[in-house]
Amino acid sequence: MRHPHLLWLICCLLLTAVWQTAPGQRPAEISGDFEGYSFSRLVEQIEARTPYRFFYDSTQTDSLVIHVSGSHLLIRDLLDLVFRQTDFHYAIDPEGRIFVIRKFPIQSSLPPHYFDPGNPSRAPGGLPEELNGPEDAGPVKDRLKVSPENKLFDIGSPTARQAGNRAVIAGYLRDVKSGEPIIGATVYVDSPAVIATTDQFGYYSLSLPRGKHLIKISAFGMKPTRRQVILHSDGKLNIELQEYVASLKAVVVTAKKGSGPRSIQMGVNRLTIKTIKQVPVVFGEADVLKVVLTLPGVTSVGESSNGFNVRGGSTDQNLILFNDATIYNPSHLFGFFSAFNPDVVKGIELYKSAIPEKYGGRLSSVLDVSIRDGNNKKWSGSAGIGPLTSKITLEGPIKKEKTSLIAAVRTTYSDWLLKAIPDNSYSKSSANFYDVNFHLTHIANARNTLYLTGYMSQDRFNLNNDTTYKYANKNLNLKWKHIFNNSLFAVLTAGVDHYQYAVSSTQNPVNAYQLGFDISQLYVRADFSYAPSNRHTFSYGLNTMRYQLNPGSFNPIGPRSLIVQNTVPTEQALESALYLGDQYSVSSNLSVNAGIRYSLFNYLGPHDVYNYSPGLPRETVTLQDTSHYPGGKAIKTYHGPEFRFSMRYTLSDNASLKFSFNTLQQYIHLLSNTTTISPTDIWKLSDPHIAPQQGNQLSLGYYHNFRSNMFETSVEVYYKQLHNYLDYKSGASLVLNHHIETDVFTTRGKAYGIELLVKKTAGKVNGWLSYTFSRTFLKQDDPLAGELINGGRYYPASFDKPHNLNFIGNYRFSHRYSLSVNLIYSTGRPITIPIAVYNVGGSSTLYYSERNQYRIPDYFRSDISVNLDGNHRVKQKTHNSWSAGIYNVTGRQNAYSVYFIQENGKVKGYQLSIFGTLIPFVTYNIKF
Amino acid sequence: MHIRLYPYVLLLMSGLYLSTGCKKPFMPPAISAPTHFLVVDGFINAGAGGVTTILLSRTRSLVDTLPNIPETHAQVSIEDQAGGSFPLQEQGTNGTYLSQPLQLNPSGQYRLAITTADGSSYQSDFVNCKLTPPIDSVTWQQPGDLTISVSTHDPANSTHYYRWDYKETWEYHAQLETPWGLKNGIIFATDSTNQTYKCWSTVGSSNILLGSSSSLSQDVIYELPIEVIPQNDERLAVRYSMLLEQYALTLDAYNYWQTVQKNSQQLGTLFDLQPSQVTGNIHALSGSGQPVIGYVSASSVQQQRIFIYETQLTGWLANPSGGYGCPLSQTPVDPNNFTIFTDTDPNDAPYYFITGGPLVVSKKPCLDCTYNGGTNIKPSFW
Repeated sequence: MRHPHLLWLICCLLLTAVWQTAPGQRPAEISGDFEGYSFSRLVEQIEARTPYRFFYDSTQTDSLVIHVSGSHLLIRDLLDLVFRQTDFHYAIDPEGRIFVIRKFPIQSSLPPHYFDPGNPSRAPGGLPEELNGPEDAGPVKDRLKVSPENKLFDIGSPTARQAGNRAVIAGYLRDVKSGEPIIGATVYVDSPAVIATTDQFGYYSLSLPRGKHLIKISAFGMKPTRRQVILHSDGKLNIELQEYVASLKAVVVTAKKGSGPRSIQMGVNRLTIKTIKQVPVVFGEADVLKVVLTLPGVTSVGESSNGFNVRGGSTDQNLILFNDATIYNPSHLFGFFSAFNPDVVKGIELYKSAIPEKYGGRLSSVLDVSIRDGNNKKWSGSAGIGPLTSKITLEGPIKKEKTSLIAAVRTTYSDWLLKAIPDNSYSKSSANFYDVNFHLTHIANARNTLYLTGYMSQDRFNLNNDTTYKYANKNLNLKWKHIFNNSLFAVLTAGVDHYQYAVSSTQNPVNAYQLGFDISQLYVRADFSYAPSNRHTFSYGLNTMRYQLNPGSFNPIGPRSLIVQNTVPTEQALESALYLGDQYSVSSNLSVNAGIRYSLFNYLGPHDVYNYSPGLPRETVTLQDTSHYPGGKAIKTYHGPEFRFSMRYTLSDNASLKFSFNTLQQYIHLLSNTTTISPTDIWKLSDPHIAPQQGNQLSLGYYHNFRSNMFETSVEVYYKQLHNYLDYKSGASLVLNHHIETDVFTTRGKAYGIELLVKKTAGKVNGWLSYTFSRTFLKQDDPLAGELINGGRYYPASFDKPHNLNFIGNYRFSHRYSLSVNLIYSTGRPITIPIAVYNVGGSSTLYYSERNQYRIPDYFRSDISVNLDGNHRVKQKTHNSWSAGIYNVTGRQNAYSVYFIQENGKVKGYQLSIFGTLIPFVTYNIKF
Repeated sequence: MHIRLYPYVLLLMSGLYLSTGCKKPFMPPAISAPTHFLVVDGFINAGAGGVTTILLSRTRSLVDTLPNIPETHAQVSIEDQAGGSFPLQEQGTNGTYLSQPLQLNPSGQYRLAITTADGSSYQSDFVNCKLTPPIDSVTWQQPGDLTISVSTHDPANSTHYYRWDYKETWEYHAQLETPWGLKNGIIFATDSTNQTYKCWSTVGSSNILLGSSSSLSQDVIYELPIEVIPQNDERLAVRYSMLLEQYALTLDAYNYWQTVQKNSQQLGTLFDLQPSQVTGNIHALSGSGQPVIGYVSASSVQQQRIFIYETQLTGWLANPSGGYGCPLSQTPVDPNNFTIFTDTDPNDAPYYFITGGPLVVSKKPCLDCTYNGGTNIKPSFW
């Protein structure tokens, strides 16, 4: 029976003081401990136990916290206690309806003889202002319904005793339809210039001088809105936003309008799932990673490859988080699809330079993929059937506005596609995958929210009926968000992540084998955010993660297999970190974010560690003996501080300069066997011989918006230094290597680049053009570490791709027809190739070029798609839209992998293209 | 409940050609370019009266079909630091160059100088002579596969890095023993010079064999396996011999050989090694910057020969040479001249005469061991 806008109804109630007769002859008693309850929860309790019904405006009462307990209280005694020292008033009418209102005393009935025409007490011209009759509720309510934008909200209590002249206003931003939190929205006040961004829970907190303010809110894909408040003391203001129903302008790209140059964060890209869904992709399935690849500074080593490279970093230097779970392999089906089901993804954030101190453990970037909360208002579902994948998503409240669930399953049946390929070797192949997501949100009360998230994916593919590749991600975590007060909240997370792969071949029963690898991590983290004032926001926390890694096992399959079992011993480690950061607004033009993170890594037993002759390169021939360490013993400890610093200086309303400096540590390394058709990647923990990777990055950016933010432009330059990046010795063997330290060496590296972005956010033509120049060089010039690579000179890293150009364009012919175009160009990645054959010492041998001196062919792809929307009437039975397009219009055969094999005693090079031709597709979307 | 059905994706099947061209040859110009770099294989034999053998060849491009491109008509000489020069003479046409038996100073430094027929000059770095310690023993282990191992040590603790190569020779027999030979359709009785029953095959090592004692407190190599012969291999059907040669290496040379060793492994499998570039100690003088492949080191040579009889092995069931059925048939004997072979099948050869009857014939590979690549001349050391 609660209604947020009932205030207006109540205001106009015809009331009389009939306290005495309150709910007549049923004096209900209430007992209980309501300490810490929100008002709405108290109301629920009372309504459940008594016949009373409450009418109040929840926006008024949501800052009210109850501190009452007692037994056998009469309703009046209870409410007197509740509203003691507040400016709330209440009235109880004879029907047991309780009206709660602020500031004005309420009369629950009209003075006697009010309707008597001769009564002089009747105000001339109609009803007294504050009175209205309940029987008029409907029409009057409609007439008087006021948009919250025009309403003045009282925050806190004028009588509250609070030191200082500032107060904190905080709350959640939610979607009015689904109740989903809105992440990354900007909440700001122009004067004094104060900005806050909602976190992953949609939570914001602003510290403002007491008094009247106009709070503006802008969020991706949501209608910008504002709230007028009078801030008395710390209080809560939850804001519900409406979806920006394409009022026929570009929907999403306008998102950052008004906040681009003002945001302190540098090198951050945020995309909502809407933007992601706009980019044409093959087979019409929205793909998170494909869109990430179009952002400036992000490249991939090839089409359909796993992972991506950020600012000249390697693929293992990206922390890919799916609602805080680390995803080790973010792709499906050779990378055709990303591992994230677009139906449950809410949006992504990619941090490229100023990586928040909260994150650590990877050098290049953090890709934070957030998951949608289920609709907490009603059940809904969606299903899709496509040529390659089918999926179903179900979401809804388990308990309305309290507990909601979203679950999704996606699977593929792409075998038919492989069979359709005329090439025989493909028709014997098979490939399939599935992924499962669930996410449970439980709002225990206004202060406590719990989230349970699970993810599982599995891929299996078989090339030419011979070798079968399988890999799987499994993740589960539980998060508890607790709000201490408006300025302080904490998130406690515990979870487990697992990744494994297996390669098996059973074609030859004698050689039938299975090769396996897996890594598991168990983690606990506590993250706090404290905003004592508007000028400071502190974040601090600690976390610890236990790794267990099985580097490789090789086992026979079947009774006839003669394969000798070979297992590389398990590795264990503990990675822990403490961090503290402060975002400080020095003045309205200058803000600074400074943080420190101290990380600690323990490589743990049980493990046998090989010892090598001191002063000699680590080779099998310099191996001296083995030390055995028992379980739990710290074999080697690495630790060190990491600094994060960034600042923003606003030059004008439309322009700003940003600077950042970061240092990072990474304790886990990826070893990727690139010489084969299908790379097999192994992760390796830092150990006594392999030191952690370290990186520093310095970056500077200039941001300028033109034409009232219709054009956003930015230039960012960066310079990075890398230490202890692993590269392979000549002839290194990576699979099942019991002493990998003899086959790798550490390099020093440098990377630099410039990123240019021009984005048009509105108008008939919109989209973005990004160009990235980036170079990465490595150097191995320490003779003690082993051979010198390329004579000890800098050589390009295997992911060095200097030129990258991306164009994503939309043209709207009308409100219903639009055309999208993607153009993507990048330099081919470097490779080392055999260039000759020769005989020495009786054996025939290949002569290889210097390391990474050649490149695979350049990559170029163009896609085009046309979107036809049905009519735009909001209320209709079904919403239809068509999109048709062509992927790879020019049919260019871009190289997916380049490899060399011996055929009839001769060495032959091949390049494998996945999409060797243009692929047309048609998608029909229907919502009903 | 609100159900949306999306995205319902239709694929224009008619337009779908997930091309036949998914895999296509990748031949960057560098691969098919006729880059014929000079390859120098050999070492300076610093032993007393040692003969230095150098093989010169050219690299082949990946698309070449030739097994070897010898470099002929080159001027090759060993030079010492004092300006002395010891020329090598070309031998035959396969790029082999031999020195006279030389008495080099074991404490001196030597290098190799090469001028090819096209006038380009090449030089190696000066290298120290390494004295190779004698081989202590060449031993073998059985049952099952036969493993041949080497043991050596350097009492002076100064060698540490070793390379070996070997020549293996084995005796094998034809499946059928006959006293008769066949030449131009005429049957004749064989003797020890043209018998076809016993043959000997000789093959050089095709793997690069390296060993190091650098992590040991003493310079000892103990029973390092150098060759594993799978059980029942034909090489041990009768008698087997291995001549093992041992060379001392410097660390530099060892690293070079290790890289060559790794690059000679197979390509295209899951367990592939990462590619690597080989840098030797030979340079082009003309400043062309053209790579030269090879590492010239100077050392003496030690060798040891062992013999193994099949009878010493346990459970060795070598298939006789040929390893296939040997059908017998008969052909009439020419009554006028029994030496005239009347069988017209070119694959047949005489086996034995039935007294007063026809000639029994069988297939040539069954009767003549030279068909399996060996020679019927007994080696001198046998």
